[in-house]
Amino acid sequence: MTMKTVLLASAAVVLLGTGAANAQKIPVGHLADQSGATSDVGVPFGQGVADALAYINKNGGVGGTQMDVETVDYGYQAPRAISQYKKWSSGSGKVAAIQGWGTADTEALTGFVGKDEIPYYSGSYSGHLTDPTGNGPHGSKPAPYNFFYGPSYSDGLRAMLMWAAEDWKKKGGSGKPKYVHMGANHPYPNAPKEAGEQLAKELGFDVLPAVQFALTPGDYTAQCLTLKQAGANYAYLGNTAGSNISVLKACQTVGAQVQFMGNVWGMDENAAKAAGSAANGVIFPVRTAAIWGGDAPGMKIVKEISKVSDAAGTAYRPVHYVSGICSAFYMKEAMDWAKQNGGVTGPNIRKGMYQKKDWVPAGLEGVCVPSTWTETDHRGMDKVNLYRANVSGDTGGSVDELVKAGTIKLEKIATVDVPRKPEWLGW
Amino acid sequence: MANISLIPCGDFKTRYAADTTIFPTKTSRNFAILGVALLLLCPAFMDRYWLNLCIQIGYLGIAALGLNILVGFTGQISIGHAAFFGFGAFSSAWLSNSFGIPVALAIPLAGVMTTAVGMLFGIPAARLKGLYLAIATLAAQYILQDFFSRADWFTGGTAGTIAEPFTLFGYAFDTDESFFYVVLVYMVVMYILATNLMRSRDGRALVAVRDHYLSAEIMGINLTKYRTMSFGISSFYAGIGGALYAHYLQFVSVEGFTILFSIQFLGMIIIGGLGSIMGSLMGTAFMVLLPEVMQAITTALSGTAIDAALNLKDAIAFLREMAIGLVIILFLVFEPDGLAHRWKQIKAYWKLYPFSH
Repeated sequence: MTMKTVLLASAAVVLLGTGAANAQKIPVGHLADQSGATSDVGVPFGQGVADALAYINKNGGVGGTQMDVETVDYGYQAPRAISQYKKWSSGSGKVAAIQGWGTADTEALTGFVGKDEIPYYSGSYSGHLTDPTGNGPHGSKPAPYNFFYGPSYSDGLRAMLMWAAEDWKKKGGSGKPKYVHMGANHPYPNAPKEAGEQLAKELGFDVLPAVQFALTPGDYTAQCLTLKQAGANYAYLGNTAGSNISVLKACQTVGAQVQFMGNVWGMDENAAKAAGSAANGVIFPVRTAAIWGGDAPGMKIVKEISKVSDAAGTAYRPVHYVSGICSAFYMKEAMDWAKQNGGVTGPNIRKGMYQKKDWVPAGLEGVCVPSTWTETDHRGMDKVNLYRANVSGDTGGSVDELVKAGTIKLEKIATVDVPRKPEWLGW
Repeated sequence: MANISLIPCGDFKTRYAADTTIFPTKTSRNFAILGVALLLLCPAFMDRYWLNLCIQIGYLGIAALGLNILVGFTGQISIGHAAFFGFGAFSSAWLSNSFGIPVALAIPLAGVMTTAVGMLFGIPAARLKGLYLAIATLAAQYILQDFFSRADWFTGGTAGTIAEPFTLFGYAFDTDESFFYVVLVYMVVMYILATNLMRSRDGRALVAVRDHYLSAEIMGINLTKYRTMSFGISSFYAGIGGALYAHYLQFVSVEGFTILFSIQFLGMIIIGGLGSIMGSLMGTAFMVLLPEVMQAITTALSGTAIDAALNLKDAIAFLREMAIGLVIILFLVFEPDGLAHRWKQIKAYWKLYPFSH
């Protein structure tokens, strides 16, 4: 036997061996934005998902079967996401489910995942994705395989408006409070615009014309002066944290006295540090029932999961990280059910999502908010936890130190029930 | 071997038709036909991932060719090409959704609509040149992008719009395998059209405008007409490319058509070769495949000894972006005439081998 034959034979054995090992695993795709426009929040969320999936694998996987997870940074570029999806959905290594990310790529892939029957757990919470049958009254297209963990952007805003209406009464405000929608003229900030303005009118707000600012940080003094002149009382910030920080700072400078309400992705501990005292008082929805350092039975597992990428266990994890863990665990439990009921395939995982009502993945009690998905309604969460960012003093240190010192505090102020009104489905 | 070459030494052409032929020899024509025939077999052995990349190269290649006609052949500049690409995408979706026009017909109609819009924005081209024109086309980019997000009736506003799959005689081309053929047919037709255009009187006029507009004008070429026409043709190509994109993805959103995308189109034609039909396709393939190759390299690098030694971790993602930028810069430094030029040099090398002259 020549050396060449030996080498070829060993290569063949290795290849076959790898193939056999992979064949037993459950392929899972994970699309993350680590370098693109939304990486400010994409990095912690993606880390949460990746750590959770690695932790699940380390602790027995899905009913004893390991997942073969491929995490890919697509730089928030939809064409790249689509290419990657094609890779994942073709051939023998077809993924059983995907943990996804942005609004544009999720919406572009909705038709494909529906046809290929691959459950897609996105980081986009657009109301359109909540309508699996496409029968919603607002003309949404069917999104049968789209899931997300959290309130839709529309429901998050509805919850904040309900809170704001109460807040106005409590403060003893006279006349109609003035509400304004702010954000870039793009699908993501605009997703809840109409839904919010409609409810604001119903709740007795005076709805002002929307104010636009780009998705990137910049000088938004003009926008703040508009807010000030119009006398806005409540403003919704529809963008991600980076550009919102610019607005908060500019508005503080011009002295606009407005109660800001951030999007799910619009505020977190990092943004509070960057905005400093300008972030003080901003209201925003938090998807989990407890945040890092909070007291909940499930926090124990969350801390263990965190050790996957931080062996020392000292890192502070922002709210998005914990939400990423919940997103991964809902998928895992649905896979568990699928495994026992015909195998881990897309349609079975989807069915697995419908098996329980108001459920929390095992071990994460007190962390993930009880959620329900049905074949006709993918609005998983109907309770929205609202938090207020409290910033006192100089925000010069690390987030970990600032939170420990109490300079940055996220304080839960309300839990709002957003009814599952049929007319709000897919909107 | 000597027989398949090629063109005998010296110029024996006696007619203009022979001088402007697309394929100089029978062999080159047969190779082109063979190439298309091989492409027809692609869906049989490529998986969806590779087909998707080929489809991307197809529709982007059509739009890039349009830009090359404008920039490479006419010497005009446009940094709003993505907006025209988007206009084609929305137009085709609008025509098929609102009026029930079959997609097969909506695609060329979308091209015509985009031509009209392109010529409208091309009017300043009659008077402006260089940097001034670039800024005028930048305005087109912003105006159209804003229009997309506001015109609910046309684009579905910021929520985007659904585009029906391409159907012909009741058969839906809604898989990668079938849509590949749709794109291939369009691409072959559009590339032949462009090649023919450049052999025609009008095509030569465009080149004359690029080479020396004053001489062209003295020769009797109507500068205004040809400059505006060039914008129209370029937009037609962008519109067709955009329409194919829309019916492939079956969803169109304003988010996709940014200024960055316009710059990418410019990158495609510069890397491929300005003023080269074939270069447009080569440049597109380069720009589509480069991130994928870089992705594969960074994935392979992740978790290896190099990763551990340099403590790259999260930086690997950024390494890829930097590498893409670096490759493009190196390319422009060492191959400023584009891939098409390099291809010509390779051909010349083999033709002249073993003699270099």
